[in-house]
Amino acid sequence: MQGNGFKIGSIVAFLALTIYYLLPTIQWTLEQNYIDDLSPSEAAEYREENGEDLEELRANTLSLGLDLQGGMHVTLEVGVPQLVQELAGENADQLLTDVIQTARDQSIETGEDFIDLMVAEFESRDPDARLSRYYRNDAMDITRRSTNEEIATYLKNQRESALERAIEIIRTRVDRYGVTEPSIVKQGQSRIVVELPGVEDKERVRNLLKGTARLEFRLAADANEFSSFVDQLYTYYDTYQDADADSAQTDSAAQSQFNPLEEVLVPAQSPYLVGYATPEDTARVMDLLRTQDIQRMMPRNTTVMWSANPLPGQSGQDLYQLIGVRTQIELTGEVIEAASVQFDPATNVPEVSMSMNSEGARKWGRITGANIGKPVAIVLDGYVFSYPNVQTKISNGRSSITGLDGVQEAEDLVNILLSGALPAPLEILEERTVGATLGAESISAGLNSVLVGLGIVAIFMIVYYRTGGGIADLALLLNIIFILGILAAFKATLTLPGIAGIVLTIGMAVDANVLIFDRIREEQRTGKTMKASIEAGYSNAMSAIIDANVTTFFVAIILFSFGVGPIKGFAVTLMAGIVASLFSAIVITRVIVDYLSQNKPSTVTFG
Amino acid sequence: MRWFETPSFNFTGTRKMAYIISAVLFLASLGAILTKGLQYGIDFRGGKEFVLQFDSEVSVVDLRENLSNPLGATPEVKLFGQEGNEVLIRTDNESEINVVQDIITSTVQEVYPDNPATVIKTDVVGPRFAEDLKWGALQAIIYAIVIIFIYILIRFRNWTFSAGAVAALVHDVVIVLGIFTILADLVPFSLQIDQSIIAAFLTIVGYSLNDTVVVFDRIRENSIVHKGMDYMPMVNKSLNDTLSRTVITSITTLFVVLVLFIFGGEVLKGFSFALLIGIVLGTYSSLFVASALVVELEERTQKS
Repeated sequence: MQGNGFKIGSIVAFLALTIYYLLPTIQWTLEQNYIDDLSPSEAAEYREENGEDLEELRANTLSLGLDLQGGMHVTLEVGVPQLVQELAGENADQLLTDVIQTARDQSIETGEDFIDLMVAEFESRDPDARLSRYYRNDAMDITRRSTNEEIATYLKNQRESALERAIEIIRTRVDRYGVTEPSIVKQGQSRIVVELPGVEDKERVRNLLKGTARLEFRLAADANEFSSFVDQLYTYYDTYQDADADSAQTDSAAQSQFNPLEEVLVPAQSPYLVGYATPEDTARVMDLLRTQDIQRMMPRNTTVMWSANPLPGQSGQDLYQLIGVRTQIELTGEVIEAASVQFDPATNVPEVSMSMNSEGARKWGRITGANIGKPVAIVLDGYVFSYPNVQTKISNGRSSITGLDGVQEAEDLVNILLSGALPAPLEILEERTVGATLGAESISAGLNSVLVGLGIVAIFMIVYYRTGGGIADLALLLNIIFILGILAAFKATLTLPGIAGIVLTIGMAVDANVLIFDRIREEQRTGKTMKASIEAGYSNAMSAIIDANVTTFFVAIILFSFGVGPIKGFAVTLMAGIVASLFSAIVITRVIVDYLSQNKPSTVTFG
Repeated sequence: MRWFETPSFNFTGTRKMAYIISAVLFLASLGAILTKGLQYGIDFRGGKEFVLQFDSEVSVVDLRENLSNPLGATPEVKLFGQEGNEVLIRTDNESEINVVQDIITSTVQEVYPDNPATVIKTDVVGPRFAEDLKWGALQAIIYAIVIIFIYILIRFRNWTFSAGAVAALVHDVVIVLGIFTILADLVPFSLQIDQSIIAAFLTIVGYSLNDTVVVFDRIRENSIVHKGMDYMPMVNKSLNDTLSRTVITSITTLFVVLVLFIFGGEVLKGFSFALLIGIVLGTYSSLFVASALVVELEERTQKS
C-alpha cells in the first residue's frame, strides 16, 4: 500500500473541492424547493428577508444555459459604415458615400476589416487625396494635415468607443426592463452578444435592443407641393406598363387599367399622406417609390416615412400610413432631459411626455412659433409616431409622443429615451430563443439520458469485468460528480449539448478502465500472480491512456475555440470529462483495486 | 465473461477487401455530396426558423399552403418531434423578425382558429453570420486534423502513423457526411448540417482517433518486444491484442449514444445520429483502414 497515501490524499482533496463548489447549487435547489412549498405571500416575505443571501447563493450555482432554462440569445452588430458616414457629418460628399458603400460590400464579401478596406478604396480612387478633409476635428487632434493612417486609427478608436457605449446603453435598457442575470459582452471589433435568461416577450426585447433611440422633430412636407406630387404619382402608375406584363399581354386592354401602386397602397385624403398599406405590402410600396422617375417628381427636401403604429382598416387589417416629411431635422433627442409615461386627461390614452433642456426649449419655441397650424412629425428611428398640428408657440420645452400602441410601448419608449441614443444603428445578426417549457423538456430528456446511459453501462461493466467492473462503476459515479464540480468551479454553463457531453463521457470514461482491465487479464494469461498482473496492467496501459486522452482533449480545445454558445458547453464538459475520467480511472480505481487485492484477495476478479 | 480472449483475425490480410468497401462507401458519399449538395441547416444557410407548439395535431401541408402567400415564398414546414402538434417553419423572408413572426402567428391563427399556437423556439441567422459560422466550422475541422497529424508525429516519431490516422479520420467524416446527405429526406428527423453536427464530427474525430492511437501504441510496444517479427504480422498481432478493448469501448459508447438518440429529445436527434454512425465507422476504420495504411506506407518506404 505504500505510495497510496498520496493518492488517497488527492482523492479526498479532489472530493472536498468538488463538494465545496457544488454546495451552493445544492443549497440553492433546497431553497427553491422550500420556497415552492410556501404560500405566495410567505414566499415573497421569505425572499424579502433573505434577498442578499439568496442572491449570493444564486451567483455561485452551476448555471444552466439558455437552451435549458429558456431565454434569448442575440448577436448584434454596430453599423460601422453608418458610423463612419455620420462622423463625417456635413463634410460628407458623394465620393465618400460611394467609397463607404463599396467598402461595405467588399467587407461583407471578404470578411476583412471595413475601415481598412475603406481607406484602401479611397486611396485607389485618388492616391493624393486625404480623408482628413472629412474628419477634421480639433478636439481629436485631427487636422487637414493628418495622414490617412492617422484617420484610420481615429476611426477605429471611434468604432471602439461606439461599441463600448452601445454596450453601456444596452445594459441600461436591459436593467430597466428587468432581466435577472443578463450577460452583455463584446465580441470582436463590432459585435455584442446579449444573453437574456427567462425572457418571454421576444418582440418587445428586439425593439428594445435595436432601437437607436434617434428622436427627431421634423416639419411635415409642404401641403400643396406634396399633394400635387401624390396626384402625379398615382397618375404615373395608372399609365405605367410593367415591362414583363407588357410583353406577355400586349393586346389586353384590361392590363393598361392595372395600377400596380393601388394594388398595394390605398389612397388617402390628407395632403400629408401618400396612402395606407398593410405590413406585407410596405416593402413593395417602397420599391415602387424608389424608382428614378418618382424620385425626380418628389418635391425638394422632402421624403416619405411610415407611421410607427397601424390604424385599423375597414376589414380589421392593420394599415400603416406613408407620410411626407421634410428631410431637414429641426431638433434631435439630444435635447431631451426627462421623459415619463403620462395619460391624456381627456381620453386616458398613454403618451410619453418629454421635457427639453434650455437650448432645446429655445429652439423648440422658435420652431413651433414659426409653424403654427402646420404639423410637426415626431420621428423615432425612422418611423413617425405622430404628426400633430402646432396649436401655439411652445416655449417651456415640453413635448409629447402620442399615437402609441399601449402603456407597454410608452414604458419601453421612456426606457429607450432615458438610456440614451445609440451612437450607430445596431443590426441583429443572429437570434436564438428557447421557451421555458421546451427548456424544461430538454432538462428532463437530458437527465433521463444520463440515468439510463449510466445504468446500462454500469450493468455491462459488472457483467463483463465482475469486481473490476464494480470498481469502475463507482469511479464512474464519482466521475460525474467531479465533472459537475469542475463546471461549477470554472463558472461554466450547463447546456443541452453539455449534458450530451456528460452522457458521452459515461460511455468513454470506462475506456481507461477497459484498457487497464484488459491489460491485467493479458498479464494474468502470461502466468503472473494477481498482484504482479495488476502492477503490470496499470503501468503498461498508461501510455495508451495518455495518448488517447490527450488527442481527444486537443479536439475539445479546438471545439471550444471555434464553437459558439451551446457547442462551447459541449466542449467544456468534454474537457472536464477527460480530466475527471483520467483521475478516476488511474487514481481512484487503483487505490480500491490495491486495497481489495491486499486485504480480500479472494474477492478480486476481472471476469 | 470474456470475448476475444486470444483472437487471431487476419486484419491486415483482408485489407484489400476493406479497401474496396471503404472506396465504395467513400466514392458513393462523395458522389452524393457533389450531386445533391450538403444539406445545410439554418446555422450555415441563414434564414428564420420558428417552432410552433399547437394544442392538438396540425397538417403540415395546410400550413405550408396557407403561409406561402403571406410570406412571399413557400416556407419549409415540417413536424418537430413525434407528437404531431409541434411544427418547424423556416423562411427566407427578409423582413424584420417581428414582422415575419407576426405574419406567421396571425396566419396560423386564421388556419386553426380553435387550435392556439405558441412560439417555443426561434432561430434567426443573418446571411453574413451564417458565412462566419461556416468558415469557423471549416477552420475547426482543418485545425483538428493538422493538430492531430502533428501530435501523432511527435508522439510516435513516424509520419506513416500520422498519415494513416488522418486518412482514417477523413474517411470517417466524409462517409458520415455522405450518409447524412443520402438519408436527409428519408428519416423522420432533421439531418441538416448545423453547428451541433460539426461538434458531433469533431467528437467522431476524437473517438476514432482514440481507437487508432491505442492500436498504434500497441504497434510501437510490440515492435520493441517482438523485434524480429515482420512488420505486417506484428501490426496484425497488435490489432488482435487490443481487439477486446476496442470492441468493449465501442459497445459502451454505442450504448450511451443510442440512449441519447432515443431519450435525448428532438434537439439532439441529428447530433446523436451522427455519433451513432460515426462510432461504428470509427471502430471499423481503426481496425481496417488506419493500420492497413500504415502497413502499406511502411512497406513502400522500406522498399525504396
